[in-house]
Amino acid sequence: MNRISLTPPILSLLPALALVPVLAVVVTSVHVGGLQLLFEFFGAAIQPSLDPTVVKSAWRGLQITVATALISWIISTLLGILLGIASASVVWQTCIGKSWPAFLIRRILTIPRAIHELLWGLLLLQLLGLSPWVAILAIIIPYTTLVARVFSDQLDTQDRRALNALLQAGAMPFPALITALGPPIVPILMSYGGYRLECSLRGATLLGVFGLGGIGTDLQLSLQSLAFKEMWTALWMLAAVMLTLEQSINWLRRRQRANETTTNQILITFALMILLMSLGLPWLKGLEIDLSSSISWNPIPWPTLAELIGALNHLQWLKLISSTILLTLLASGIAIGTPPLAMMLWPSRLGIEVQSLIWALLRLIPPPLSLLLLLLSCQPSIAVAAIALGAYNLGVMGRLLKEGLEEQGNSCWKALQASGAGARSSWLYGCLSAQSPSYLAYAAYRTDVILRETVVVGLVGGTGLGWQLIESLGSFNWAQVILLLIVFATITLIGESLSDYTRHRWLRSTQKPALVLDLQS
Amino acid sequence: MTQILELRGVKVYGYRGDRLSNIDLTITPGERIALLGSNGAGKSTLIAVANGSLTPDSGIVLWGGRPITHLRQHQRQAIGTLWQDLRLLEELNVAQNVNAGALSSRNLMWAIANLLYPLEIKACKECLKAAGLSTKIIFANIRELSGGQRQRVALARLLRQRPELILADEPLFSLDPILTEEILNLLLARTTRGPVVIHKTLLMSMHQPDLIHHFDRVIGLRSGCVVFDNSSDELDAKALAWIYQSE
Repeated sequence: MNRISLTPPILSLLPALALVPVLAVVVTSVHVGGLQLLFEFFGAAIQPSLDPTVVKSAWRGLQITVATALISWIISTLLGILLGIASASVVWQTCIGKSWPAFLIRRILTIPRAIHELLWGLLLLQLLGLSPWVAILAIIIPYTTLVARVFSDQLDTQDRRALNALLQAGAMPFPALITALGPPIVPILMSYGGYRLECSLRGATLLGVFGLGGIGTDLQLSLQSLAFKEMWTALWMLAAVMLTLEQSINWLRRRQRANETTTNQILITFALMILLMSLGLPWLKGLEIDLSSSISWNPIPWPTLAELIGALNHLQWLKLISSTILLTLLASGIAIGTPPLAMMLWPSRLGIEVQSLIWALLRLIPPPLSLLLLLLSCQPSIAVAAIALGAYNLGVMGRLLKEGLEEQGNSCWKALQASGAGARSSWLYGCLSAQSPSYLAYAAYRTDVILRETVVVGLVGGTGLGWQLIESLGSFNWAQVILLLIVFATITLIGESLSDYTRHRWLRSTQKPALVLDLQS
Repeated sequence: MTQILELRGVKVYGYRGDRLSNIDLTITPGERIALLGSNGAGKSTLIAVANGSLTPDSGIVLWGGRPITHLRQHQRQAIGTLWQDLRLLEELNVAQNVNAGALSSRNLMWAIANLLYPLEIKACKECLKAAGLSTKIIFANIRELSGGQRQRVALARLLRQRPELILADEPLFSLDPILTEEILNLLLARTTRGPVVIHKTLLMSMHQPDLIHHFDRVIGLRSGCVVFDNSSDELDAKALAWIYQSE
């Protein structure tokens, strides 16, 4: 009989151990002069620049980011739905009695999905030059395939009894599919669509940080010139948009759960999409960004076999891959373990609200910028990169944990409080225990996201495959770029498979419907 | 005799009228009280108010003469509740659930360690035995247990808490006659197995008038009001009909 039990609440807390080595390295590498700059940065939060030129520039940048995000979101969602239908086994099985085409399409779609939008952005920049389409396409390509994957997964996991009953009664395949699977899938899709809009906005901001325009570029330029007050002007504007978007999506979800019929939901969604699309294009044009301008095509010279072999031998693969994996593990540990640890140590209502504010702030600053901020006072290292990446994802995980706990109900927590257990112990047993399987399922998904995002901090922090990739891109060494992309995509796909396996394992152990968890993640 | 628990003018408002209306009652040590009333009469609300998990809209609850809201958190250990929905921790094993009853007298590090490696197994086993469970299930997951076993694990957790007063919310609901007898005997402190101490003060909500003779006192609730509070010998068919009379 095995007495040691890695219970779900312990597994939720254990990753926080990553903080120990990371903080040990960071604390020893801190230099005091840089700390002064960090204090100045935080101090500037309460006195952002109100200079009309700064506000005007940030406002313009914000509009570009929002319009870019909107256009990318609409196109990627619509294309994603179509590709999702095309890659769903249930559709092919119902129509032609075989599911291999679905399998084939799914495999093809894994490649664009495995490459982060930032990498797409940098590649497209080489291919298309500085065009407004670069940022939009960089988001559309991976997001379309992400939506397709989720949509086809949802279609394939729906209960097929109603569909079989309709087919048995002589219904034609497509009408039967729409009738049986349409009503349950539409609310899921709407909920997921809202989440993707948030992702598009964050993606567009991130691309801006790397010079592709919008508020991200403003943020980057302000940080480079240490103009923290100007930086906060842009950050607060971005925060207002993010918060409005989060609240609107939550409101729509609540309304959707409450009473809207499926037909109404579809009509409202499509009307909203068309409206936003018709706004987005002229909006960008009004900002003097013309999407109809011609795109130049600069093809990448395909490397020879000798060049590829040379690149293979030249790069230190073991070091690059191991540092990427180490960065993923440390950042995931921080992101997953810190929210439950912090909530356990300060479980009062005030404590949770204060923590929520901190998490919202952490979600606001893109990881490369927080890394640059940290580098003002620390030496570059994997530990510093892990803090930057972990902190951003910690913001996301903290929000998910809080929302999960709010939906969960508190009967066990109240029972333990009534029995005299202390506030922390009763939170640990009464709240975290029940929430941890769902939380660990989100965590598995988040680790997968973090692995993809290592490239983002790698580019800035001088570590892992991401850093090497930017070096190779900068020196136009296409053989190295191609090999690095293949290796990164392979690691990402392996990570995705592991994450899927872990996520489904935890989903099986919770009573919460799998679909809900998938969407929340 | 000094009362250990006292409710003075307790009112709890609900969406459709009062859930509890001007409740005044006292419980003295050693009393065994049956709480009767139809579904929705306010029995669970009364128990929640009595254990401090629900704050009344008006009135006061006193424990040992002190307002229950002024008790330090660990002092609440003296009031044990057997919840109708059991409130077991589904993600943990039996030992960890039983140990949850001891959290009032342990610190956070103990609580964390217990999640990794169930502690004080001897004490857990004694409580399991006292609740009539085999110690073989001590590391079983709660989800693997039958309804009767779950009920007894909740009871073992209560015994681990060592309360002075037990508030039991319909603990005999959906139990077979043999299990009913066993659980009742245990709650009434008639059965002692091993070193587990069971205090005799008990307030138990129930729907089985045929078991009333096991109790000293009966409180009848109807629409949130106490309509009967007397010795169990006084409960006759007429009084029973009065308690269960629909409005």
